[in-house]
Amino acid sequence: MEVFKQKFIEEATEQINDLEQALLQLDQNKEDLETIESIFRVMHSLKGGSAMFGFEKIDRFTHILENIYESIRSGEAKVTSDILDLTFQAVDHLRKLLDETPESEKLLEKENNKFIERIQKALDDKAVPEHTSLQDEKTEGKVKTYFVRFVPDEDIMHNGTNPLYLLEDLANLGNILIVPNVDNIPSFEKINPEKTYTSWNIFLSTNAGINAIVDVFIFVDDEARIETHKISDYNLLELEAVRNILKETLHKKPEIKPADIQELIIDLESVYHDKEVEDIQPDTRKKVEHSISSIRVGADKLDNLINWVSELVTIQAQLSLYSRENNNPGLAPIVEEIEKISRRLRDDVFSIRLIPIANMVTRFQRLVRELSNELGKEVLFETKGTETELDKNMIEMLIDPIMHIIRNSLDHGIEINAAGRTAAGKKPKGTITLNSYYSGTNVYIQIIDDGRGLDPQAIKQKAVEKGLIEEDAELTEKEAYDLIFSSGFSTAKEVTNVSGRGVGMDVVKRKIAELRGEVEMTSEKGKGTTVTIKLPLTLSIIDGLLVRIEKTKFVIPLSAVHKIYEFTHTEIEEAINNLFLADEKRVPFIYLRKVFNIEGAPPEIERIVNVEYQDTFMGLTVDEIIGEYQAVLKPLGQMYKGIDIISGATILGDGTVALVLDPNRVIFEFANNENLKV
Amino acid sequence: MTTKHQKLENISNTMETYLSFRLGREVFAASVHHVVNILELKPITKVPHAPEYMSGVINLRGQVLPVIDMRVKFGMTPTEPTVDTCIIVLNLEIEEEEVILGILVDAVSEVLELEGEQIEPSPSIGTKYKAEFIKGMWKKDETFIMLLNINLVFTRNELVVVEEKSSQAEVDEVKENEKTDE
Repeated sequence: MEVFKQKFIEEATEQINDLEQALLQLDQNKEDLETIESIFRVMHSLKGGSAMFGFEKIDRFTHILENIYESIRSGEAKVTSDILDLTFQAVDHLRKLLDETPESEKLLEKENNKFIERIQKALDDKAVPEHTSLQDEKTEGKVKTYFVRFVPDEDIMHNGTNPLYLLEDLANLGNILIVPNVDNIPSFEKINPEKTYTSWNIFLSTNAGINAIVDVFIFVDDEARIETHKISDYNLLELEAVRNILKETLHKKPEIKPADIQELIIDLESVYHDKEVEDIQPDTRKKVEHSISSIRVGADKLDNLINWVSELVTIQAQLSLYSRENNNPGLAPIVEEIEKISRRLRDDVFSIRLIPIANMVTRFQRLVRELSNELGKEVLFETKGTETELDKNMIEMLIDPIMHIIRNSLDHGIEINAAGRTAAGKKPKGTITLNSYYSGTNVYIQIIDDGRGLDPQAIKQKAVEKGLIEEDAELTEKEAYDLIFSSGFSTAKEVTNVSGRGVGMDVVKRKIAELRGEVEMTSEKGKGTTVTIKLPLTLSIIDGLLVRIEKTKFVIPLSAVHKIYEFTHTEIEEAINNLFLADEKRVPFIYLRKVFNIEGAPPEIERIVNVEYQDTFMGLTVDEIIGEYQAVLKPLGQMYKGIDIISGATILGDGTVALVLDPNRVIFEFANNENLKV
Repeated sequence: MTTKHQKLENISNTMETYLSFRLGREVFAASVHHVVNILELKPITKVPHAPEYMSGVINLRGQVLPVIDMRVKFGMTPTEPTVDTCIIVLNLEIEEEEVILGILVDAVSEVLELEGEQIEPSPSIGTKYKAEFIKGMWKKDETFIMLLNINLVFTRNELVVVEEKSSQAEVDEVKENEKTDE
């Protein structure tokens, strides 16, 4: 039973998330019947599930909650902001109920009763019933014909499900044609009366919509294979002749593919074409796919898989090295093939863990909705590019920092009232946009507000007051904005309870740096502020350039590398202002041997790796380029916490350790260093 | 800071096993509970900008293992590799987190089985090492073996574990180390 309970909790958590999502949609369009329908459906299945698994509180709670939406659905009540607020709180309450522990039971019981009372009250003084035109549309829904294949598992009756009752439910929806498939029934002496051998092919003409059909099977999802397809926009079952044709076909070919039925029907349909004019309104409802297109896997299994792939990549590097050293003509092509496969395997396995950013958006929408109410600001939350995918672990770790940035934008960014905005020639309603996109091997997430913008002068003054910079420090605009990310900085004059609770943007920066990401702010006074977060695509394997300085090997991420140049040591030594000539352009370089304090005599010929750095270029000198390398990133661990120019280490084919450079940090650290001279 | 009396009580009377190792002319010992294994010296990758006592990292069965130069940690000159130089892999608990690290020592000496009463408290004056890092002493023939509180040695972020109020020469050495690490 515990296992089932766990399963239920998992599913319920997802359902609650769906519910929240749907509520946010409803908030945008309060009369969207389809959304109301889906909210109702989620509540209904939550209720059913909780009753089944002994979550008595959730059962009672959703039951009463469902009543509200029942009355909305039936047109007796209208969706109001109050009802939405209540439901949002109910969502939070449901989450609490799911987490119930023996200790919290008493408290929750009390809360639950209180909440139920509130809902009851809301139900009693609900808005005057009003018939909306939308309501009528539904009952007038066109009769369409669906094909349902219902193949119960042999053991379906063990859980107390009687398949015949389900068929009866279906029959209640409209005109039905049921063709049983009895091919699998064994001979009489082998029959186990507790098992189900029959499956059913069903045609149903109904105006209830595909969701109503799916609802019938909602509790047997796991115990049966159910395929539901819309096969015709007409009431096919009206004509006896058509019924007979369908019946016959299915008797002959019980396993017929739905596509084949559809083909058959196209001919039959022509009869109806003349009778009805094609409905122009497209079917907006999503097609419900009941064949399995995704499976659920525990995150730990994926982590294991990724660890193994990482091991494989490391071993493969060893193999490549061995093959090169031994020059065996038979071995080389095999090794090359393995290298190719392991690269593809790596990419595929890593893509499994990628999930779209849309997964975290709901929480931000909630935040904006609640905060803007609290602050009395009208703010619209928009999203762009939410299909952009990121590592699941990364998404989880990003939620808090982004919440904080949004909180800041809402609190400090957006003007205090609409009047302030109209005065500045802007729309009265503020906008916060979450924009995400890929660029190279990075993912960018931007939080853009169209508020007051930042004042570099005010920031500077504040920083001087806080003792973060000297009074006479010369700062570029960008440097001024960067100050916001230093610890102990907060521009809000008063500490509100929304933002500025002690944790500042410095924490945001640190959290993002932990993900090997960067955060940056740009702003235009009066126009708004943009916070840009740049993140690597995956956390653990990177394509790199393996280089050597003296005995130490370094990996430079290939994504940053632009071109490699060769110079003699004398040329480098004599370079003026540490500039080198990269295809006719003068580019500054950093003499790594020096800044890393690596002892030894430099070789006669040295290489400069030209890397891209924030729209410009910078050269890094090394002794030798060894080649391209897939680096499995290993953390340096706690002991090296303070060293951010190295983002990790990787184990090479020969068993030694190479260090993975973070070129951005290296350049940031040393670009303005006076002691650069070779 | 515990008093001498408490310290004596902390050392139980049951037998405990120590691994002793040599740094220069001095011999130290750590409880074998912490010892994972002993490796021959292998190439260590130095991490730029790390403090001087952090020798670098090595590959321990696919994991990256930080290696600490115990000589520098104890205020001596950096290790010069010899045939006897070893890396002792330790499993420690630092700030409630399990940390595996290697320590570079001049030589591994022997395994000692000591009973509680054999261990003498470390004199709070007269040694150059801070008393909190030394659990006790054991006299073998004419030499003293210092039993280390190995968890504590790495918990503190201090550069070296020598007492700062010791002889002037050592203070200078400490300062010298600090300078090179900045």
